[in-house]
Amino acid sequence: MRKNSLLGRIYFGLVLVILYLPIFYLVYFSFSSGKSMDHFQHFTWAHYQTLFADHRLLAIFLETLMLALLSSLIATVIGTLGAIAINEMRKPAKQRLYLSLNNILIVSPDVIIGASFLILFTALGFTLGFASVLLSHIAFSVPIVVLMVLPKLKEMDNSLIDAARDLGASGWQVFSKVLIPALTPGIMSGMFMALTYSLDDFAVTFFVTGNGFTTLSVEIYSRARQGIDLEINALSTIIFLFVMLLVGIYYFISKRQGKKAKGVGGLIK
Amino acid sequence: MEIIKLDHITKQYDDGFVALRDINLSIESGKFYSLLGPSGSGKTTILRIIAGFAEPSTGKVYFNGQDITGLDASKRHFNTVFQNYALFPHLNVYENVAFGLKLKRTPEATVREKVKDALHTVRLDGFANREISELSGGQQQRVAIARAIINEPKVLLLDECLSALDKRLRKEMQFELRAIQKKLGITFIFVTHDQEEALAMSDEIFVLNDGQIQQSGSPVAIYDEPVNDFVARFIGDSNILPGEMIKDFEVKFAGKNFECADAGITPGEKVEVVLRPEDLDITAPEKGKVTVQVLSQLFLGDHFEIKATGAGTEWLIHSTNGVKIGQEIGLFFDPEDIHVMRLGETEAEFDARLESYEGDGEGDDE
Repeated sequence: MRKNSLLGRIYFGLVLVILYLPIFYLVYFSFSSGKSMDHFQHFTWAHYQTLFADHRLLAIFLETLMLALLSSLIATVIGTLGAIAINEMRKPAKQRLYLSLNNILIVSPDVIIGASFLILFTALGFTLGFASVLLSHIAFSVPIVVLMVLPKLKEMDNSLIDAARDLGASGWQVFSKVLIPALTPGIMSGMFMALTYSLDDFAVTFFVTGNGFTTLSVEIYSRARQGIDLEINALSTIIFLFVMLLVGIYYFISKRQGKKAKGVGGLIK
Repeated sequence: MEIIKLDHITKQYDDGFVALRDINLSIESGKFYSLLGPSGSGKTTILRIIAGFAEPSTGKVYFNGQDITGLDASKRHFNTVFQNYALFPHLNVYENVAFGLKLKRTPEATVREKVKDALHTVRLDGFANREISELSGGQQQRVAIARAIINEPKVLLLDECLSALDKRLRKEMQFELRAIQKKLGITFIFVTHDQEEALAMSDEIFVLNDGQIQQSGSPVAIYDEPVNDFVARFIGDSNILPGEMIKDFEVKFAGKNFECADAGITPGEKVEVVLRPEDLDITAPEKGKVTVQVLSQLFLGDHFEIKATGAGTEWLIHSTNGVKIGQEIGLFFDPEDIHVMRLGETEAEFDARLESYEGDGEGDDE
């Protein structure tokens, strides 16, 4: 057993190293003076200084962040209502149909979604820019939110709704005081997923950005084609730390909620 | 005073399943009622219709003489204690109990006062700030009761709310529920499949099977005078023997004629005779009304459950004293211990017949 677990630990460690090595490689060279990642020369903050002087890149970074927040927020509202609607459907066949339609959007390649949005927007005569990117991000985020909220709805004790009505709650009060709080963990994880999907999306965005607007992933891609600049490494390091912070916050929130909602619906142990 | 009336209620689901057939019942204020029946008998459906969570297919629900059939659950003067308590997991004990009052925008000071009172009633003083997940099953049960009584409902509906507790706690809660009901003086309608529970707590029991009320009456009346096979078997253990009416106050079963307390049945009619196992006294073979041979014996703590054979049938006997297996024993019973049931007799016919030879009998439960 002990030998086994040692082997297991080595394997686990190896997997982690392989997964994180490229990122640490990037981070490592963000502190190296010189122009390339061939070998580490000496420690410097220079790339961070050029990064913070690069107002265009910082503006794109903030715009990307705003896009992600806005699209995930709107997608969360639409997706949560959608999940409730799917859950309310009486006929199982209808429910399955809508759920499959939802899942197809998740499974289908981003390239297809991006291309079809491009075709749609040009056909409608819609100018490509922030609005088109926002709309398409909302569109691919909604199914994710639906998928995260629906299990919470399924596992929720329906008598909670009856209990609220029994105590005199109106339809809106049932929704706001019982249904939404009960779904909050699912809604939060749905929003978080939508946020990360939006932040790192390249394929869809690439199709629907116009001249005026670009996101970080598209910008990095176009810069990387002209040769790697270590400024990108510095930016990646900052994003990596930012994401770690987000995960930490998410973990903290879900742990606190998990503690509170143990024994959902007041079920007995 | 009549507070709730169900008038010719039927309930049929979309898939054609008939849950209730022509339910008529009348609930008086200030009493403890039980709806007793096996699972699938429709007892919870009746409760849901009274609470307003389900609508009857046909028929009307009256509250204080007013038709409330289509009224939303939130506007009825009833509150419910759910089977799994349905406490809101995101709120603590105080917030759960205060939920109904806060919806009505009651001033904070009044809310605090009333929550304290309600928690005191269910003996949970000092639990206000606990999370629901920190409570035991029995405590969650009490919170659910406190939450339901804080709105001062005219009727409290309880849906199998003791079934999840262990036996000792269940007994304790039975006493407490009864005490709370007496204290508040409001009507309780309690749904249960546990006949002991219903007998112990109720002023009146409705026995349900297959979507129909089989019998209603006081626990004693139902136990002593079951109207049919189903009730006799469902409430307590019983020996049910085929028999024949000889004349008024005389019935033949197990090959002999016995004096009994029933009348108003045509002589020669085939009947069923119910003998409760605890009414059978074990005596010496020569002193018994029938003699039987002991087949098996189980010790159940407070009594022995004895199976015996004799007089052409098998007998179930409860006795505080044990016997030897294979022993010949006599069984003695009084005429009042024999309960004669006519085949296919409805509750109304049964009550009418009882009236005919007992004068103003105890059957006036309406």
